[in-house]
Amino acid sequence: MLYVIFESTRSALISIFAHGLRSFLTTLGIVIGVASVIAVVSLTQGMSAFIGESFSSLGSNSLTIQSYTPISEAMRGVRARVTPADLELIERRAEGVASITPILYASRTSQVRYEAQTTFSQIMGTTYAYGDVSQSYMLLGRFIAESDNLTRRRVAVIGEKVREDLALPENPVNEYVELGGEWFKIIGLLEPKGDIMGFNQDDIVLVPYATMVSLQGNQARTDIQIQLSLSEEADVEDVTRQLTALLRNAHDLGPEDDDDFVINTAEQLMETFDTIINMVTLVIGGIVSISLLVGGIGIMNIMLVSVTERTREIGICKAIGAKRHHILAQFLIEAMLLSLLGGLVGLALGYGLGTAISSSIDSFPPASIPLWAVGLALGFSGFVGVLFGILPAAKAANLDPIDALRYE
Amino acid sequence: MTPDDNSALIRLNGISKHYQMGSQLVRALDGISVEIGNGDWVSFIGSSGSGKSTILNILGCLDRPTDGEYYLNGVYVEDLGPNQLAEIRNREIGFIFQSFNLLPRATALGNVMQPLVYSRIGYRRRKDMAREALRRVGLDDRVDHLPNQLSGGQRQRVAIARALVTEPSILLADEPTGNLDSRTSADIMQLFDQLHREGQTLVLVTHEEDVAGLGDRVIELLDGKIIRDRRAGEPLH
Ligand SMILES: Nc1ncnc2c1ncn2[C@@H]1O[C@H](COP(=O)(O)OP(=O)(O)OP(=O)(O)O)[C@@H](O)[C@H]1O
Ligand SMILES: [Mg+2]
Repeated sequence: MLYVIFESTRSALISIFAHGLRSFLTTLGIVIGVASVIAVVSLTQGMSAFIGESFSSLGSNSLTIQSYTPISEAMRGVRARVTPADLELIERRAEGVASITPILYASRTSQVRYEAQTTFSQIMGTTYAYGDVSQSYMLLGRFIAESDNLTRRRVAVIGEKVREDLALPENPVNEYVELGGEWFKIIGLLEPKGDIMGFNQDDIVLVPYATMVSLQGNQARTDIQIQLSLSEEADVEDVTRQLTALLRNAHDLGPEDDDDFVINTAEQLMETFDTIINMVTLVIGGIVSISLLVGGIGIMNIMLVSVTERTREIGICKAIGAKRHHILAQFLIEAMLLSLLGGLVGLALGYGLGTAISSSIDSFPPASIPLWAVGLALGFSGFVGVLFGILPAAKAANLDPIDALRYE
Repeated sequence: MTPDDNSALIRLNGISKHYQMGSQLVRALDGISVEIGNGDWVSFIGSSGSGKSTILNILGCLDRPTDGEYYLNGVYVEDLGPNQLAEIRNREIGFIFQSFNLLPRATALGNVMQPLVYSRIGYRRRKDMAREALRRVGLDDRVDHLPNQLSGGQRQRVAIARALVTEPSILLADEPTGNLDSRTSADIMQLFDQLHREGQTLVLVTHEEDVAGLGDRVIELLDGKIIRDRRAGEPLH
């Protein structure tokens, strides 16, 4: 059997290369199919590896609490809120919390100005604990201190992106920037963190929480975000359950009411991204298998033509002693090789495409193809070849020798 | 009839081949009984449509008769399945066609090697055997030529080499000189004569009396029946 395969492979290759252009056009469907799978997989895989790295830098055992207004409630004009009172409650009652900090986003404007330069950034009011919770470190200067909050000082810590956008000096400490019409003195520059999914983590301005509250005016209905990090021995699930109970109680929610807040962990966020990426991969994979199917039909079609064209040759081979399985193997192997060659070309093309795309978009992670994708692409294209080669090959093998020889 | 007579390589007994064409029954062969011994050179002769090719195709196990018995080397051929027939065509029979029937994409050497592929002979040995066969037909200087780079006579020599390479017990040729000029035909016939003298059994189909006359025995067909079976050289009338 091995001998038959070897001989058939040889004659199949001769016949494939004898019809170079036709073989190429025939396999185009497979080439395109495999190339697009590989391009998509290499991009999403690169992305997901990158996201994994980014999130581990985000602080893996931190939780974020945000208000959440279901659409049905929003239509009735009700706005869910997480309040400073909730923060106090958690500080007093929750166990397993290492540090906790409120975050209040600037609600009026996010414009920042330095001399003639202005830019828009994410302006957040927070406390000294933010540094711990979000694992942010200082490149220059110092972080917001407890006393800054107590005295509502107008100081700011900025990210690298903001420094660049405002053309601030390399060391921006002691420069003044204008936020919402007030002047703030820069006390520190954060160590750059890079991007996550196009969101620049260095495009950030931090001011003391109390200062932010006073700037926003006396809005009793403040909606804040709470970030906290867990102590070593605490369990994420436990703490989440505890916080849920505390907040439901504080918000007077009945047993059948939904939560009016959400608690996210960095890991959850990462899983969400992973799920999205896997779904995208799956959907595109599905679309692409249709193109492989079409490619397979193309191969079947050309193999049928080829069987008809070579009817006389098949007759000759039978006249000099070819058995059914010799003819079957020859055409089956030819179909499979055709498809496999298409798969190989597609693999190279797809990887090239993925690399080209990822390197042409600035913040995009480098493309990477996992081995399973290579195996899958080649296995699948070989399978398509065999599947769609069976019919033509059987047709050839079943030809009657005398009829085949008489074929004009 | 029992296949105990070992001197007969081929024994045909009441072979018929009928084709139903609409309401009309075409009797391509009608009750042919003939024996051919080892080393014989038999020529079938007859006008167009007399059934010459049909009988040769049945002898070559390419076609099956509608009726009758065919023993080849004592084997009752009608009992064999497609794969066993393929094996007989490979081992016992060498077929030579009027239109050469070479594989167009294979070289002369490749064409002659092809039957050996089906008898599972390794590449090296296959190549040696094919070269030897090409040498026997006088084509050792054209081994790497494709069929369309060869003359008609050279193509037919390649076909003969391909038929010889498996050392078949019988060589069947259907109008082997039909597509060749008279000079080339004479060369090819001389080659057959040489093979015959080396002991090769030959069955030839032709419609030319002088070609048939080169063999030992001439069998004349008309409308699917044998009308005369004579030694070559005997007067026609
Ligand atoms: N497949 C077929 N279907 C119907 N009739 C056929 C078929 N093959 C052969 N015949 C008929 O059988 C008869 C014998 O044909 P055959 O080919 O044996 O003739 P032949 O003696 O070889 O003639 P030629 O010298 O022209 O080659 C012819 O009448 C032909 O029409
Ligand atoms: Mg004929």
